[in-house]
Amino acid sequence: MSDDTETDGGTTVDVTPEEENLVDRLVAAKDGERFVAVAAFVGVFAMPFLLIDVLGVFDTLIGLSLGGFVGLPTLILSFGIVAVGYNILLGYTGLLSFGHAALFGSAAYAAGIFSNNVVASPLLAVVAGIVVATLLSWPIGFLSIRRSGVYFAVLTLTFGQMLYFYAFGPGSWLTNGDDGYTPFDVAGGPDLFGSLAMDASITTLFRDVTGLTLTLTDGLDMTVGYMLAALVSVLAIVVAHRIIKSPYGLILKAIGQNEQRVAFVGLNVFRYKLMAFILSGVFAGAGGALYALSKAGLTVHPNATLYWVVSGDFVIITAVGGVGSLAGPLIGAVVFEYIRLVVQGITVPGTEFQIGSLWRLLLGVVFVVVVTLFPDGIYGGLSSLGDRLVERFGAATDDRRPVEEVEETGGDD
Amino acid sequence: MTEMSSILETDGLTKRFGGLTAVDDVDLTVESGETRAIIGPNGAGKSTFINLVTGLLNPTEGSVRFDGDDITRQEPHEIVQQGVSKSFQTASIFPEMTVQENVRMAALAAERGSFRFDFLSRRDRLTDVADVAEEKMRAVDLWSDRAVDAQNLPYGDKRRLEIAIALASEPALLFMDEPTAGMSPEETDATVDLVEQVQRELGLTIVLVEHDMEIIFRIADRIAVLNRGSVIADATPDEVQGDPDVQEAYLGGVEL
Ligand SMILES: Nc1ncnc2c1ncn2[C@@H]1O[C@H](COP(=O)(O)OP(=O)(O)OP(=O)(O)O)[C@@H](O)[C@H]1O
Ligand SMILES: [Mg+2]
Repeated sequence: MSDDTETDGGTTVDVTPEEENLVDRLVAAKDGERFVAVAAFVGVFAMPFLLIDVLGVFDTLIGLSLGGFVGLPTLILSFGIVAVGYNILLGYTGLLSFGHAALFGSAAYAAGIFSNNVVASPLLAVVAGIVVATLLSWPIGFLSIRRSGVYFAVLTLTFGQMLYFYAFGPGSWLTNGDDGYTPFDVAGGPDLFGSLAMDASITTLFRDVTGLTLTLTDGLDMTVGYMLAALVSVLAIVVAHRIIKSPYGLILKAIGQNEQRVAFVGLNVFRYKLMAFILSGVFAGAGGALYALSKAGLTVHPNATLYWVVSGDFVIITAVGGVGSLAGPLIGAVVFEYIRLVVQGITVPGTEFQIGSLWRLLLGVVFVVVVTLFPDGIYGGLSSLGDRLVERFGAATDDRRPVEEVEETGGDD
Repeated sequence: MTEMSSILETDGLTKRFGGLTAVDDVDLTVESGETRAIIGPNGAGKSTFINLVTGLLNPTEGSVRFDGDDITRQEPHEIVQQGVSKSFQTASIFPEMTVQENVRMAALAAERGSFRFDFLSRRDRLTDVADVAEEKMRAVDLWSDRAVDAQNLPYGDKRRLEIAIALASEPALLFMDEPTAGMSPEETDATVDLVEQVQRELGLTIVLVEHDMEIIFRIADRIAVLNRGSVIADATPDEVQGDPDVQEAYLGGVEL
């Protein structure tokens, strides 16, 4: 027994409060799969409304264009999914990859090429993107993970740049090089299951089906494409949550903290690291395919998908939002894409001054401020604020980490 | 110690670092169920010997047999999976994980092997892992601290967590590299009790590196003395005590 003078003995952990406080119950539910699914669902469907309608109020009120545009939420989700997977690699396993643009970009091209040449099905395009990114992450991971630290980062960077240059030059026959590739280059736009046009809005569908006219604000009037992206995202978030709550969540975190010790408890560190890399590749694939969907009728360009700067953006998104948490990378994606695509277009009222390409400078400032104030990112800052509130309003007073309890339901395999 | 059969045999085990021979042609046999001490002055090669057997280092020459199988040059996780585990000389734990998570890591590997594709299964349903971990936490008296982050434990508790992790790997042969180094006299006493207890209850074979002669005489069945990489004596505590070579190695004959 330790002589721990700060706590009153060691038995407090076993105490279950007689009357369960509402705050405590919410805190306990927060980790559950159902809660995560519902929260993701609500968040994903509320986001367009918040970004477009709520922030759009400023456009009409004071002429400050803070409102997002209709395509923004899809872009946020596509980057957000990549970051959720990237976090499994960086936040848990502690592997800093600078090559995830290669996985993201390859999936974007794969989704587009698949839909133009095989079937123009958005759902199957997502699957194609995931398959290609997964297959690619295996050899890249396999070759990079053998080295650690800087060499790992440089190897992933190298593989990424190789693909970038291929797509730009020699691979132009496939990617259309610098001119950009048009995914879903089909007359009338791509169809979901061959019946629903991706750019059809809910109100149009409603009118076609019922004959009644429904009026919704821009943010609420989502397209079929956004709903597909939203559902893929909810699924991705639930899967990521599963991974975090599986043995992998513990093992990958342990590898990030003390790799040698993991080997000396008898686990194959290399294979787990490789799995972390491949799993993050699956998410990068889903994100890349959704990105291609959002570019239907537009173009996918190597600079916006395969270039190493995009890899850096994934690092920034994950770090700003908060590594090691599920919500952090998603928050990071919202902040990053909002600055990149909305703040960039702002003209300071009363002047001619437009933020324009200064957005990277602004992003840098945001990054420095966040990382200085909250070492665990925006989500880390929010959750420590939340902890303080729970401490204030919850009944449980134990400030130690909750113990992970095991359900007595027998094995699962 | 019902039957005396060897669990570990090294044959001509040698490790050279450049010009330095840290472990020099060591033939050592450890009997199943015994507590074997390895002693020797600083830099004698004790830790290096352990690292060769447990797979952290590959030998320059020689071989290691565990339970009849050649384990030379196997990866550490393969060696651990066969039943050889070690507690590190400086506590090697997972600092930002709770005590419970630390021990469960080891139990996970022992119960479920070195790798699985179970990334979608829930670890809160692994009752077997939880049970093994609880047993080991109770054995080292850290159960009540299971919710504490490992980095916040006092020094002695970190060392005991280190031992709990090693035990949760469910080894047949356990290497302990100076398990009591830096502990207070009370903690040292408790740890020695613990080693004796697990040795008795689990029928473990223990190879212990230790500087404290009192501890060694209390628990060791046999002692191997290393000096500059070579075994200069391998006998019972009483025999070793009277050995002039050993006294010479310890700074020209200081009383043991
Ligand atoms: N990785 C290495 N590279 C080079 N030399 C090494 C390495 N590891 C150990 N040595 C050297 O090998 C010799 C044996 O070291 P080792 O750590 O095995 O001694 P030890 O008996 O455990 O000592 P101590 O009682 O101080 O722990 C020392 O001279 C040491 O400096
Ligand atoms: Mg040593």
